[in-house]
Amino acid sequence: MSGLKDVIDGALEIGRAMGVTLKTAITEPPVTVEYPDQPMAVYPRFRGRHELRRYENGLERCIGCCLCEAACPTGAIYVEAEENDPEHPLSPGERHAKIYEVNLMRCIFCGDCEKACPTEAIVLGHYIDLAQYDRRDLLLTKEDLLNPPAPNTVIRPDA
Amino acid sequence: MSDWITITIDGRQIQAKDGELLTDAARRAGIDIPVFCSHPKLDPLGACRMCLVEQETPRGKLLITACTTPVREGAVFHVSSERAVDARQGTLELILINHPLDCPICDKGGECPLQDQTLKHGPGKSHFWEEKQHKAKNYPLSDLVLLDQERCIICWRCIRYLQEWEDKPQLGLFHRGGETVIDKFPGTELNAYTSGNVIDLCPVGALTNRLARFSYRPWELEKTPSICTHCGQGCNLRIDSRSHRVRRHVARENPAVNDEWLCDKGRFADGISFSADRLTVPLVRKDGRLQPATWEEALSRVVEGLKEVVDRSGPQAVGALASAKVSNEANYLLGKFMRGVLGSNNIDYREGSGLLADPRGLPALADVHSADLIVLIGCDPAEEMPVLANFIKRASIRRSVPLLIIHARRPELARYPGVFLNPAPGEEIPLFDALTRATLEARMEAGAEAIPDWLSAETPPAAFPAEAVQEAARLLLNAEKPFIAYGMDYAWGFGARGILAALVNWVAAAGHTERLGFLHIQANAQGAGDVGALPHQLPGRRPLNDEKARAELEALWQSTIPAQPGLGYSGMIDAAANGLLKAMYVMAADPVGEKPAHAEALKQLSFLVVQELFLTETAKLADVVLPAASYAETSGTFTNTERRVQRAPQAVRPLGKSAPDWLILMHLARRFAPDKQNAWNTTSPEAVFAEITRAVPQYRDMSWENLGEEGRQWPWDALSVSRELQAHNGGLLNEPDDEYPFRLVVGNQLWDGGTIFAATPQMAHLGIQAARLHPDDAASLGLAAGDAIEIRSQAGAIQTTLHLDPNIKPGTIFVPFSLRDAPVGTLFDSRGPRTVVAVSKVEAPVAAPA
Repeated sequence: MSGLKDVIDGALEIGRAMGVTLKTAITEPPVTVEYPDQPMAVYPRFRGRHELRRYENGLERCIGCCLCEAACPTGAIYVEAEENDPEHPLSPGERHAKIYEVNLMRCIFCGDCEKACPTEAIVLGHYIDLAQYDRRDLLLTKEDLLNPPAPNTVIRPDA
Repeated sequence: MSDWITITIDGRQIQAKDGELLTDAARRAGIDIPVFCSHPKLDPLGACRMCLVEQETPRGKLLITACTTPVREGAVFHVSSERAVDARQGTLELILINHPLDCPICDKGGECPLQDQTLKHGPGKSHFWEEKQHKAKNYPLSDLVLLDQERCIICWRCIRYLQEWEDKPQLGLFHRGGETVIDKFPGTELNAYTSGNVIDLCPVGALTNRLARFSYRPWELEKTPSICTHCGQGCNLRIDSRSHRVRRHVARENPAVNDEWLCDKGRFADGISFSADRLTVPLVRKDGRLQPATWEEALSRVVEGLKEVVDRSGPQAVGALASAKVSNEANYLLGKFMRGVLGSNNIDYREGSGLLADPRGLPALADVHSADLIVLIGCDPAEEMPVLANFIKRASIRRSVPLLIIHARRPELARYPGVFLNPAPGEEIPLFDALTRATLEARMEAGAEAIPDWLSAETPPAAFPAEAVQEAARLLLNAEKPFIAYGMDYAWGFGARGILAALVNWVAAAGHTERLGFLHIQANAQGAGDVGALPHQLPGRRPLNDEKARAELEALWQSTIPAQPGLGYSGMIDAAANGLLKAMYVMAADPVGEKPAHAEALKQLSFLVVQELFLTETAKLADVVLPAASYAETSGTFTNTERRVQRAPQAVRPLGKSAPDWLILMHLARRFAPDKQNAWNTTSPEAVFAEITRAVPQYRDMSWENLGEEGRQWPWDALSVSRELQAHNGGLLNEPDDEYPFRLVVGNQLWDGGTIFAATPQMAHLGIQAARLHPDDAASLGLAAGDAIEIRSQAGAIQTTLHLDPNIKPGTIFVPFSLRDAPVGTLFDSRGPRTVVAVSKVEAPVAAPA
């Protein structure tokens, strides 16, 4: 007796559950992001590809102090500094970075470089399209860092 | 000497020396008292107040500065009492009022005592929020030293260093209170030869290295304890490098050699290791031009070329020039290759058999600190060894040690009390004879032996003030511990043998022969001879006819060594000119650069190999040029002028495809003589040094490890040199006449136009490119300072600029070595540098219209 009842109850439950699925499939839009055709949503403090920022007057924020390099736990950053030409300074003050390289193969995106930076020059941005066909393309030069590509992301509100 | 006493610090009983400063006593006991102005090598001043501690006195507990307080038996101090800590925190807060917070761009950041002590002893917070004082930043004191007045904390260390050690007070304090700044005295330059030491001394980033500016952060440097290879003093330094590039040199303490100082050449001229002019690939002559080649190709060509000459003309037709600029290992292996593989004793270096140096060099550099008389004969430490010169100045100032100087021009050290005698070339022997006679006469008064006949009979009356000669003779005779050094000027060229004999007579008459030493100018002039780069001596300075020595080396080298002496440096070049020498192997030497006429001789050779850092004038003539590695790129040992063997370990990798000297010679020997490979199987410079300790008896107790960071001296009495009164014959120099009215005086100057300066771009313009003449002589010739002049001898002529200098003896002209494009060797005739010249004005070359 009880065996038959279980079968009927089970069938009813499945039917009810399928009803929910059917209803949601018809009434709610899909949540899958069709990346890369659609932008990813990231939180504002997401740590993506590095960027070197500039001041509003165009001068580089980076002064080549190498503190990011010292803070980096994986040795992914290499900086060589140089004296500014007083006539054509690249950054405010006496010193700028001549070479600034980030090795994305080593980087673990921990953000310690951001924290170490006294001028908020190096920041981890929202760009996440990091796959490359060549290892050399994973070595970001100062030029790459100062001219970051537009990120294929949307900022998700902090929950 | 001083007694040990007991003092109390923070309730702890500690032992101290009576009268020493509290900071020193505390440091020994491991108690930390922060300091800024106090420095172990500088006199106490108490300027910064950072070391405030409490002392118990009859008037109660007083705050005193620990760096100026001598300790006495039973004294009681409180270092960590609340009041003392509070006082130090307050001091630090005051120091930081105006100190800018630009640590991220400051070269001192990371090794800055002010940073460290702020973290350790600072209050952590400041009461002050006002705008900081603004002063000059990025203010060059000289081409080498940069001042940031904002960062200065007025500790006076730089001022005191220049006063106390260099005796050139060139920096001072200006203004008062918070506006006090360090600056040059008006009208003076910061041009002391050891000015760079103020950078090491500065406890903040106020004084920084202008050449190394912004090229490093202290924490990212690899630090290699090494030595300076610019002169024979062998000052200890640290090579700081990063990503295989030398970033800077910093002084390293070695009380026996350089205390903790460096001269500016040693500190700043580090460009040799990364110069863009360096050779980075082997060059082989093809179709009449030197063309890049592989090592395989170059070495095969060297082996072929040498084999061909040996087969055709025998091993005596091959010669090798070694060098006092490269390590013991390189010189030893070149000697081993020449003697053990080729079978020729033709090996020498410029400062080798042609220089009458004492084979033991100098007794000890540190003797200068305890000497009661300093005698400098034909050497000028102020230009040749500035750090030693500072020790001499200090001996004069602090201990009133008289200086007895005999030199062809008036050197800087002649400004100190003592006797200065100024013989022109040719007048040395009469002068030394007069000194010998005066010494013997003084001893006869005390009942000693008679004056030998040859001395009284042969010597003409000397053209020197009798009182000065008497005084000089008396000084040396009465001295107990004189420091006596003679230099290259009287040990080289025509007549040097006679001059040295006359000098030795004087020193022997005064009874101080065991204190007479030679001051080598080149870094490894002592070591190259020790390890056997000499035509008449085997390693260990043993004569070639020493059967036992030959047998030992033959066993070690698995070969037979010829017993007949080889040709010396100039002998080889002469032999090349008249076709007796067919092939030459030149390592780190540049005979053509020294004397362009040598090019004709070297062009006669059928095969020339040059192993060098740069494409020198000699290298341009070579059939094969092998690129060598510099001092920083390979390990090696150097033996300084006091026989101290010191390590210079590898700091960075060789530039391009250049290779260390020892490795090149090792490959060459193994290719040349495959049957002797068992004697040529060392695989590291350390192993080569181990072999040297077996080949050179004086080095027997040494090993790479036990040389340590301060090196080891081989004993002065390991070699004996006969030094006694003997008759001598100087030979006559040619006299000045109407055609050639000036006697030539050559010598070294620190700021020269040589490779070391040329390779460091920021220093290239600093070399002084001029000959010097007495103003009266210049006036009689109608010449003015800055004129372009031609100096002509019978051998040749050079053109350079004229400087006027009252320190030059009238009738002589001083031409330094290493003038750019004007090698003084051009003027040398068969009598070497001791010749006469004419000086005339040349119109400055006018640029031809296009």
